[in-house]
Amino acid sequence: MKRSTRKSLPIIIVATIIAILFLLPLVWMVFTSFKTLSESMASSNILPSAWTMENYVSVFSSVSEAPIFRWLFNTALITAVGTFLVVMIDVLAAYSLARLNVPGKKVILGMVFAALAIPGIVTLFPAFYMFKEAGLLDTYVPLILPYTASTMGVFLMYNFLISFPKDLEEAAYIDGASQWQILYHVIFPTIKPVAMTLGVITFLGIYNDFLWPSLVTNSNDMKTITLGIATLIQGANFVNPAKMMASTVIATIPGIVVFLIANKYIVKSVTNTGIK
Amino acid sequence: MRLTKFLAISLSVVLLLAGCSSSSSDSEKTADGKIKISFINGFTGGDGAYMKKITDAFNESQDKYVVTELQEKDHYTKFKSGNYDLVVVHGNNLETYNQDGLIQDISPVIKKAGIKESDFHQAGLDIAKLDGDMFAVPLDIHPLTMFYNKDLTAEAPKTYEDLKALNTKLQSQSKDTYTLGVPSSGLVEFYMLMIAAQNGIELKDGKQLNFAQEKYADALMQFHDMVWKDKVSPPKLGLDGEFQTFMKEAKEGKAYKTAVAITGPWFYGAAKEKYGDKLGVAPIPQIGSELAAYGNAHTIALSSKVEDEKVKEGIAEYLKFMFTPENLLNWADGGQAPVHLATLEKVEAEQEKYQIAFQNAKQFENYVSPPQVYQFGEQMRYMNESVFSKLVTTENFTKKELMKELKKATKLAEQVAATAPQNE
Amino acid sequence: MYKGASHKIWSVLMVSPFVILFLLFWALPLALGVWVSLHNWNISSGNLGFVSLDNYKSILTPGTLYYDLFMKGLKNTLYFVVISVPPLVLISLGLALIIDNLPRKLKPIYRTIFFISYSISVTAVSAIFLWLFNGNGGYFNNVLESIGVIREPINWLGEQPYAWLTILITTIWWTIGFNMMLFINALDEVDAALYEAADLDGAGAFSKFISVTWPQIRNVAFFIIIMTVIASFNLYGQTKLITGGGPEQSTNSLIMNIQTSVFGMNQLGIGSAMAIIMGLIMMVIIVLQYWLSYRNKE
Repeated sequence: MKRSTRKSLPIIIVATIIAILFLLPLVWMVFTSFKTLSESMASSNILPSAWTMENYVSVFSSVSEAPIFRWLFNTALITAVGTFLVVMIDVLAAYSLARLNVPGKKVILGMVFAALAIPGIVTLFPAFYMFKEAGLLDTYVPLILPYTASTMGVFLMYNFLISFPKDLEEAAYIDGASQWQILYHVIFPTIKPVAMTLGVITFLGIYNDFLWPSLVTNSNDMKTITLGIATLIQGANFVNPAKMMASTVIATIPGIVVFLIANKYIVKSVTNTGIK
Repeated sequence: MRLTKFLAISLSVVLLLAGCSSSSSDSEKTADGKIKISFINGFTGGDGAYMKKITDAFNESQDKYVVTELQEKDHYTKFKSGNYDLVVVHGNNLETYNQDGLIQDISPVIKKAGIKESDFHQAGLDIAKLDGDMFAVPLDIHPLTMFYNKDLTAEAPKTYEDLKALNTKLQSQSKDTYTLGVPSSGLVEFYMLMIAAQNGIELKDGKQLNFAQEKYADALMQFHDMVWKDKVSPPKLGLDGEFQTFMKEAKEGKAYKTAVAITGPWFYGAAKEKYGDKLGVAPIPQIGSELAAYGNAHTIALSSKVEDEKVKEGIAEYLKFMFTPENLLNWADGGQAPVHLATLEKVEAEQEKYQIAFQNAKQFENYVSPPQVYQFGEQMRYMNESVFSKLVTTENFTKKELMKELKKATKLAEQVAATAPQNE
Repeated sequence: MYKGASHKIWSVLMVSPFVILFLLFWALPLALGVWVSLHNWNISSGNLGFVSLDNYKSILTPGTLYYDLFMKGLKNTLYFVVISVPPLVLISLGLALIIDNLPRKLKPIYRTIFFISYSISVTAVSAIFLWLFNGNGGYFNNVLESIGVIREPINWLGEQPYAWLTILITTIWWTIGFNMMLFINALDEVDAALYEAADLDGAGAFSKFISVTWPQIRNVAFFIIIMTVIASFNLYGQTKLITGGGPEQSTNSLIMNIQTSVFGMNQLGIGSAMAIIMGLIMMVIIVLQYWLSYRNKE
């Protein structure tokens, strides 16, 4: 045992150096958020010479212009509802396609595969125009529903189900279980790992999306946190790195916390996509 | 069955929320029967709070109307895709918005409000008039402004010779201190039009901008010389470099610092926070052959979608309220220089309090307004994003190379001008 | 089993939410996009008439405004794909190999550290790197100067090749963790017995990688390359926010230029045509990659 630890020492050192490089931007972000305006613009030391809470106070007090908590709330709502809808809708569709011999199955599957091959940029601006003409811009509708049109989830779960034996379902059916009971007691537990995968991917996709929300929101109150931070960077008049970093810290923490909690699932879920 | 219930609940929440926000933006009246007026502008910087003050005061002053104000960085795009009654349009965009049929003549409304042409400074009228009519209400002009650090120069430089003399003095003290910074991107459109104005060059040629003029190439070369020949600016500054170097502390071989910034008045707040009483503000120096100021302007325009007479009456009331000196003074407090004469008088009476507005109002006399062409911003795009940066970052850039670029920019501008709607 | 009318109803009920949403938010916009691309369609004044393939023609005719916009965007985007895909794949493989060789207890810690930046949104990432790479007195410049790598500050965002380097470093820092995770999982599945056999043969680390590891992870590697190409093709947030397309329009990505045609120039018809051409180019590249990796397997 001792020998193997000594053997892996060089690689631990290399890994640690890389880890420090990876963490450096985040450390810089946190420390800069505690600097004064002039220090943040002028100094190059990573540590603040005089610590100040001023930037955070200012972020909290300027919520009327930059409602950062509202943005966080919007993001939480959109990602939660969007992810849930996508997973539910796709599970039902995949089940119906893989097991129930739905009429028009071949046509639907054909659309699913075709859609996978066509890049999203093609539908982006027309979709925006549709929502504009429908008067639905600046509502939660375009921020949530278009994500449900993604066919990736149906594809993943359909593939999973057709390669999965039907024995359990058949046994349940013979025992006289209803369709809902089969779905709830047999299919959901079976499909859970793939559904988690899809959930994580969908969550990250919605959370990170920048271009689409920037097209379909107008008011400050409807922005997601990702979009809100962009507003702060681009605000032609925003020249305060310290305050910028304070906002970024607040915006980043929830994401990192969710990430650390879900870490286990994310690791697994990435595996699942890799296989396909 | 728990899952289905959850699904049903979350769906209804979505629809409820969606319903709420869409219905509130569509309805013309609020719950208590007030007529709603929506106003969109791009005041996302420090100035936004001051416009809000005016709007809030108006909403409190009467109970027939309520103005909802949306401040959005990307407000032009949002105006195109949304439903708004009033919009702030920059002086250089007025023609475009007119030709695109997005805004309508505001003069009947301002007549109702009792606002007259003679209420405004000529510089503001030059901007807001299209074909001889006041098409929008001019709010302010924000010209290029000069900030200076009183520790480094007691007097504001007034000519190019002053800038050079100051630079010699500063350089003798420290190699990292210069007179000013020439940025490679950011405010460069202002720089390019300012130098045209200061050399008496007319860029507008029919429906397009014509940059390919020998005289203009000579004028622009001065920015190249400022960096590479006279070296009054450190080389290779990036976005907003003129302001960022002004805010820096010099560090031997590591960071430059400048004594002067020719920049936008909206940076006043940050500069004041850093320098306090050491911050000087003055009109820009004469760099070209004559004294002229250039900058953009805010005007308030009426959306072409507004037809309801009641809404128009409300807008008239709002404008009447805004354009009274006591109220518009808030705008000067926010650092903007109003073109409303009665308000300007108040600004002059309290020069110290309204330092930046006062200094900028002094530039109105020499102000040259942006050329009125269709899609001004798009016609300028190549100049803004490509030509200026080449000009000031390439050490051996020649006039010949510049002319080639100017010709290309002109050709692109011509094609942009050709996209104008045919109905004009 | 699964016959009868009630099953049919159930099956239709279950699939219909997906089908309806798919038609509404995917098929309809696609059809609309094709339709709009055949018209002179202004974003503010609406449809100004049928022009057949004129939009496509003017995008593909040298010398026009739209040709310049599209080709410059395409050139910049392809350039980014070329410079970004190799490091994004190779570095992530390197990191995965490092993690794979770490003692079991340390693996999760380092894995989390390398992966954590992926949980930060592109806008927050841009905010950080925008200031880190600030030319005059930025943190990165200062570090390089104090360790003596450079003598004069580098204008990272305003000069090439530094602007691309900035975008590249930002992108690597932000997204490398995802590729790395895929590689780690692939490496986990390599049969340990194969390594032991190689050990007995006295194989070195490199020859072990070539003869044992690589054949086992090759499929995942092809998958990662395709995913990375697609991601790099969709370059938008980093260049929009960090370099703003500069210097001299050299980092204007294709998506940014399509957005300019739609919202700057009001030309929804031109923009839709550009998006369709871009979609076709991406499809060709992806199909080509599938074909190449499939052929390699034979």
